[in-house]
Amino acid sequence: MRQHEVFGLAIARIIREKSEAGQLTEHEDILAQLIGQSLLKSEDGNQRPHFEALLRETVEKNEDLKEISGRDGISHYYSAQSLSEPYARILIQKKENPLSLMAEIVRENSAIYPRPVPLDIFMESPFDLTQQEILDCLKKMAGQKEFRDIAQTATSIGTIFLYSTQHLEPDYASSLAEWLDVGQLNNP
Amino acid sequence: MTKIGGWTGKVLRIDLSTGRISTEDTIEKYKDYLGGTGIGYKVIWDEVPTGTMPFDPTNKIIFGVGPLAGTGAPCNGRTAVTTLWPTCWPKPLVASGHMGGQFAAELKYAGYDATIIEGKADHPVWLSIEDGQVGIRDARHLWGQGIRRTTVEISQEIGAEAAVAAIGQAGENLIPMSVVMNSFSHSAGGVGAVLGSKNLKAIGVRGTGSVRISGNKEEWEKLVKFHLSLLGANNQHVVPNTPQPWAEYYNTSSRWIASRGRRWEASSPAIETGTCEPHRLNRISYRTNNAAFYLGDGAWKYTVRGNGCTGCPIRCHTMIKVPQTAAKYGIPEVGQNTCGGLNFGRAFFKTFPDGPRGETAIEACMVGMHLADDLGIWCNYGQLQRDFIKLYYGGMIKKKLDEKEFKSYSWDKYEKGDPSFLFQLLPRIAFKEGELGTALGLGTGYMLEQWGIPEQEWTKDYNLLYWKMGHPKHHSNEDAGQCGVIINTQYNRDAQCHSHSNFTRNGLPIGVQKRLAAEIWGSPDAIDAVSAYSLMNIHKAKMAKWSLLRKELHDSLSLCNWMGPWVASPLKERGYRGDDSIESLLYSLATGDKKNHQELDQVAERIFLLHRALTIRDMGTKEMRTQHDTIPEWVFKDVSGKTPFTKGTIHMDKEDIEMAMDIYYEVMGWDKKTGAPSAATYHNFGLGKAAEELSKRGLLP
Repeated sequence: MRQHEVFGLAIARIIREKSEAGQLTEHEDILAQLIGQSLLKSEDGNQRPHFEALLRETVEKNEDLKEISGRDGISHYYSAQSLSEPYARILIQKKENPLSLMAEIVRENSAIYPRPVPLDIFMESPFDLTQQEILDCLKKMAGQKEFRDIAQTATSIGTIFLYSTQHLEPDYASSLAEWLDVGQLNNP
Repeated sequence: MTKIGGWTGKVLRIDLSTGRISTEDTIEKYKDYLGGTGIGYKVIWDEVPTGTMPFDPTNKIIFGVGPLAGTGAPCNGRTAVTTLWPTCWPKPLVASGHMGGQFAAELKYAGYDATIIEGKADHPVWLSIEDGQVGIRDARHLWGQGIRRTTVEISQEIGAEAAVAAIGQAGENLIPMSVVMNSFSHSAGGVGAVLGSKNLKAIGVRGTGSVRISGNKEEWEKLVKFHLSLLGANNQHVVPNTPQPWAEYYNTSSRWIASRGRRWEASSPAIETGTCEPHRLNRISYRTNNAAFYLGDGAWKYTVRGNGCTGCPIRCHTMIKVPQTAAKYGIPEVGQNTCGGLNFGRAFFKTFPDGPRGETAIEACMVGMHLADDLGIWCNYGQLQRDFIKLYYGGMIKKKLDEKEFKSYSWDKYEKGDPSFLFQLLPRIAFKEGELGTALGLGTGYMLEQWGIPEQEWTKDYNLLYWKMGHPKHHSNEDAGQCGVIINTQYNRDAQCHSHSNFTRNGLPIGVQKRLAAEIWGSPDAIDAVSAYSLMNIHKAKMAKWSLLRKELHDSLSLCNWMGPWVASPLKERGYRGDDSIESLLYSLATGDKKNHQELDQVAERIFLLHRALTIRDMGTKEMRTQHDTIPEWVFKDVSGKTPFTKGTIHMDKEDIEMAMDIYYEVMGWDKKTGAPSAATYHNFGLGKAAEELSKRGLLP
């Protein structure tokens, strides 16, 4: 097997294994792991362009391997065999800005299902926010123009749901929240 | 046809009055009705005269299973129990209850496709079916015992592998609100007292045979695997309830609640569900945890495992172990059930001290399961509990009970949400004790009649979810608008149809659902987003017809309509399509009787038509549209005043629903004015004799 094929297999394996664990792989992680596996030498700065080329080639050759980058432009990789694009997006946004992440999730749910989302979903994986962090996010959102479409509604048993007024009318959002929180359980 | 498979070929008939035990040829007599409810309706049509009452010895009760029971087909564990329905008000009519568990498969392995019970024993008996050996055995020592003890005693006699379908004290005492139950937690509601009226305590079945698959075995295995690949979680929810690495979509209301870090903590060692990627078929059983679905994350620490029916990887009867209940209430610390059974005790209470998903609510579930599943009480899809709440908080219980009886209940405990209150209430229902216990045991219609409460009080109250004839709605307009309404008009008890709701609740975005709907029912307009309903159209009627026929098909094949149909799937590479022909593929390979899905749906239509004919015959009127297919007032009223077709209301428009019924009757080939099938329709489906009989009685349109 030629050396660049060995590199290619190693890169693909690193990305796939992390995807199976539900994680993105950063560009620098791959480099570090290749060095750890003695496929690259850490002191050899000349190898970086070579690594960049191999990484690009590996991603191009393997249909399941995808690149995603956030606002900072840093590339992350994942395998679509075990990680979906929406999930990868959540992971990227989570790192950058939880406020934007929450808003995007709320907007997406309001637009495509359509439905409001309960606050406590953000305590679940992969969001993993604490209740306090969620409340802090909401407070911050309240003062920012870019989040003014994010609204709240409470059900008859007190559960708070979020929705986007860009996609759901307040009345409709309230009735959907009540259906999701109370109605469905009473109509199993 | 090649050598027949699927069916065993024999139907067992037991006359308890004479002790005669005989068999009939399934293929010769019942093949056109498949099995399950099909055999049940056929027997009632042929053999139970109009005017028979549920507890008359001339009434019959049929435990029917289908050609797929006991095969490797997924979700094949259903037994349909068909009889004249004691809670059907104001006049008992034909209906069926459906139990999962192991009874269906065991009956097949013992060599039978159905058991027809007729007559009445002169003393308590149980029926022993051990392969070809069938006996009517003395049950006097079991009479007065609960379901649990009865099951254990019979299992000790015929083997631990036996499936025992037993009634509790409620059935013995002829309480209409009673069940027959097998395999610890799998019940068919409403029929316990019919068995009690025949002095039949239980049926114990042990079979060591197998079910023959007619087709190529490799093809069969491939097909079963394909079907498994289409399964979602319970109720065919095809997306997880939180974002999972593999998932494109999620739905916070999904019963697919497995996730990394979620563990069955009462298992030793604790078992992590993992992310349950859909292609990992050996992880299907980890997707569903109905205890956690209903009771919240607090239930994970009590979860032992999932339990369920033969051939079903869904395991919707979640087993929970709640140690404090042993000391606190003196009941076993382990319980299992799903939906209505799991929530049986909890649903009586309006509030709990620690909220609807707190520890007390879980304890109420445990106490409720312990009592109801041993005494054999039926909840009528939660109507029993809703009635109770309405009667208590509406002051009707205080008004109807004498002071002594009223004070004999600890109402302070009830109002505080103390589960020990259930020890006062549930045994009195099972033993027909006092005014309250007796009334609640009658079922809603007869209870209202006995207490002089007009039915309209119930039909106008949305919170009661009451529909008609003593029974509630079961996935009506709240799930699928006009389609749900149509479906709920059709049966003589709650509709028990999930074909439509398992689609609308599958968790996929509305755009994906509409794309699939267009492929199945001819237009994306067959469905709407919840609470955003549009005007009636023919595609909604087609969906209603399809839903009803698939329900009857499943009930006759022994497939689970709480899981199917499988027209959506979790598979992204299939565009989330399922397969509309999975039932016919399984049927054809198993039996050797090759039918495509349209042909098999026609058989289902024959079965459904026979149910309609029976209803018309026994009601003695052809005016079904006005006298049977009725819709409660709450469907047309929104408490907040929203008009129909505005977003945020599930309420319907009267004129639109009239049009919906017109279109539905047309799609069915029934007379629009009366809602009765025409003679030609009966003839088209091989029911010419039924048409002749109805004609003689002036019951054709």
